[in-house]
Parts: sequence; C-alpha cells; structure tokens
Amino acid sequence: MFNFFAEIKDNLKNPKGLEFEGFNLINMSGHLLYVEGHLGLVTLSKELVSFKVKGGVVMVEGSEMILAELSENTIKICGKIKKVEQV
Amino acid sequence: MRLKNRTKFEICGLNQEKNLNFLSKKVFLQEIDRKSKTQTSFVCSYFDRKKAKKILEENNVKIEKIQNFGPVYNLKRLLSSYGAISAIVIFFVAYILQSQFILQFDIVGVESFSKTEIVNFISKNYSHFKPKIDTKTIETDLLDKFEKISFASCMIKGQTLVINIKEKVLPEEMYGTFPPILASNDGKITQINLISGTLNVKVGDFVKKGDVLVEPYTVDTSGSIKKVEAKAEILAEVYNEAEVSHSEHFVEVVRTGRYVERNEIKLFGLVIYSYKEKIPYKMYEVEREDVKLNKNVLLPFTMEKVRVYELVENVIETKFEDVKDEFVEKARQKALENVKNYDKIKEEFYTISNQADLTFVRYCIVTEENLGVYYDN
Repeated sequence: MFNFFAEIKDNLKNPKGLEFEGFNLINMSGHLLYVEGHLGLVTLSKELVSFKVKGGVVMVEGSEMILAELSENTIKICGKIKKVEQV
Repeated sequence: MRLKNRTKFEICGLNQEKNLNFLSKKVFLQEIDRKSKTQTSFVCSYFDRKKAKKILEENNVKIEKIQNFGPVYNLKRLLSSYGAISAIVIFFVAYILQSQFILQFDIVGVESFSKTEIVNFISKNYSHFKPKIDTKTIETDLLDKFEKISFASCMIKGQTLVINIKEKVLPEEMYGTFPPILASNDGKITQINLISGTLNVKVGDFVKKGDVLVEPYTVDTSGSIKKVEAKAEILAEVYNEAEVSHSEHFVEVVRTGRYVERNEIKLFGLVIYSYKEKIPYKMYEVEREDVKLNKNVLLPFTMEKVRVYELVENVIETKFEDVKDEFVEKARQKALENVKNYDKIKEEFYTISNQADLTFVRYCIVTEENLGVYYDN
C-alpha cells in the first residue's frame, strides 16, 4: 500500500543521518493539518491545539479549529492554521 | 454523510484532553469540537457508542447528550419505538396469509351418514389453500365416492368450505313388504274407493272380520306382479248384534237383614283377639272390612270386621209379554255397546225366539263403517 511519508523518506537521501522515526506532520494549505505518531493531546481549543510527540510538544495556533479526527496515533485538525511550532 | 451510522456525544467536565486521549485509544473519534473550556462534543461510530459511553462513565465524565444518526439507528428505532405499528403490520401480513386457507367446513343436508366422513375425505384429498381448491372437482368426487349422495354443491365462503348435499331418496316401494288391508269387522260391502293395490272383494260381498279386502300388489298387462302399498276406502254395512234371554221362572236371592259379626284384632298380621259368633244361616254372604285402630306406626293394630248376612231365595214368575219392552231395550243397549260409529246408524231391528222355558231377544243395529284402512295424505 502506498504510504506518502514512506515515499518521501525514501526519496530523501538523509545525508546527515537524521532521526525520522518520531512523528510526521503535514499542513495542507493552512486548512488541514494531519499528524501521525502523536503521543497524546495536551491542549484543545478553537485557537490552540497542542499535542505531545517524541521529543517535545507541537503547538498549532489558528482560529475556528476543530479536531476532525483523533485516533490512537493520528490527528486531523481542520480550521484556519496560522502557526505550527515544536517546542 | 447521512448514511453513516454515527453517534454524537456531548460531554462536560475538566481536563477533557486526558479523557479524549484515553478514549481515542479505544474508539476512533471524529469532529471533536471544544465548545468551551468544560464542554466538548465528538462523534464516533454508532457501533462503538456503547464502548465509548462505558469508557466515559468509568472515567466519571458527565455525558450531557447522546445523539444517534444513520439508517441502522432509524431502523432499530422503528422496530422498538414503533412496536405497535410493527405489530399491526405483522398482524395484517399474518391475517392475509392465513385468510388464504380453509379453516372449517360447513356440511348441510347429511342425515344417513356422518359429516366427519366427508370432512375426512376432503381434508385427505384436497389442499386447504384456497386458490388451489376447485369446487367443481370436489363436487364430482363426492358424487363418485359416496353412493348415497345424489347432488353436491361446494362454495367457499370466507374461510369456510360450505358443502350442500342432497341424499338419494328411495321410492316407497323399495322399503319392503306391505301388509294387505283386512276387514276390521263383519259386514256387507257397500262402497269401494281403491287407491292402490288389488281388490279382493266387490260391492255386495259379505265379509268376516279378518278377511283380506285389498292385496298389496298390482298386476300389469304383462302379468308381472309389482309390490305396492294397499290403500283404499272400503265402506260396509256392519251388523252389530246383541242377545238377552228371559226365563218365566226366575229365582231371586235377597238379604233378609239379619247378620252376625266375626271380628279379629291383629298386630303385624298376628291375631291378638278374636270374636266369632256361630253362623246360623243356611245361605249367607260375607262382607269384610279392615279398620286401623290407631295411628301408631310402631304398633299398627288393625281390626278385621266380618259381617255374615243371611240370604233367602224367592222364586219369581213373570210372563215375557209383561217385560218384553224392557228386554228389548236391554238387548238394544247391549248392541249399542258394539257400535263404533253412532252417526251412521242405517237400520235397527230385533227378533224373538223361544227355546224351552227361555225367550231370546236378538237386537241388530246396522251401521255404515270403513272396514279398511283409510288412506289420507
């Protein structure tokens, strides 16, 4: 089965030997943020969604945001996404 | 997507992120909307609703509202909430199905054999499913199977198979032998009205009681005998006779008025006391009478009273001519006792004859009577 993230990882040569096994995150036009490999929701509001990932916390800022999907390891955030930051 | 079977939860409480994290490990959550700090709504599969509710309750999360969507939920609600409608629909379906079958039989006109024979025959050989029943076939088969049936008609009325039967009626000649008409008295035939049978007498014949008047058969032109019921009206002059006798020396026995008593007192049939005078008379007659002495049931004393009356004989001499009218009337009354039909007395006469010391008066009353059996429908 085709996996988008696996294809990207294969195409990248990864010359520096960076760690890719943590989480994957994709922002589609600032309206949808898809996350794979999260470790749990930390904050949920219409303006801020934050969740734990391996090695820190990812904070998503925006407006009118809702969680379109939440499963054990994926998140799909819909709304107006302004900023995604890992701390 | 209205066709998706989903359940929407609205929950209330603090630290809902923790609850959602815990829940998302077991149930796939969608459309999570944080309405306020303490209120959140989310959607899960309709089939996971029980699991989600259980997890939320175990974590002491207050569920404010649960809404279900989708065809499965609607169907289930229809079957549960609209049970009465479902029952009515099921009832009508069942009613329509069962109305296609014959449930009972109504058999009319059967007398000489059992209705159950016909019911068993039809149940065994024909379907109870109405569209498969051919009433014409049943009618024909009934006529073939049962010899006693002369006509059969079948009709389906509701869920009843109505069978109208007419049995064969045998002519009266087939029922057996017939008795002849016998003369019920002595007489002279005066009129004959023959209905069926063969006459054995003609007008003017004298017949005795018991003579055959009409035979129970007819003879056709070919000479063959055919049994029929003897029916006729046969009128005759019947001679009702009576006789009294008179003697010129007549001995009359009368009581003198003297009597003696011979009484006994009894208890349970045993004689307790008896008083018996001697009978001093040459001729006597006895009168007995039982009298209860008390009403005691335990000791029922009875007295048998016997009276012995003295009798004497007186010889009376009378001439017949002096008592003729009286004897003729006696003879007439005696003859009238034999007359059955007082309305049709045609003639009366008497004859007197002598023999030694005796004079006989014979009285005859002629009546018109029907000697044979009168036939009337």
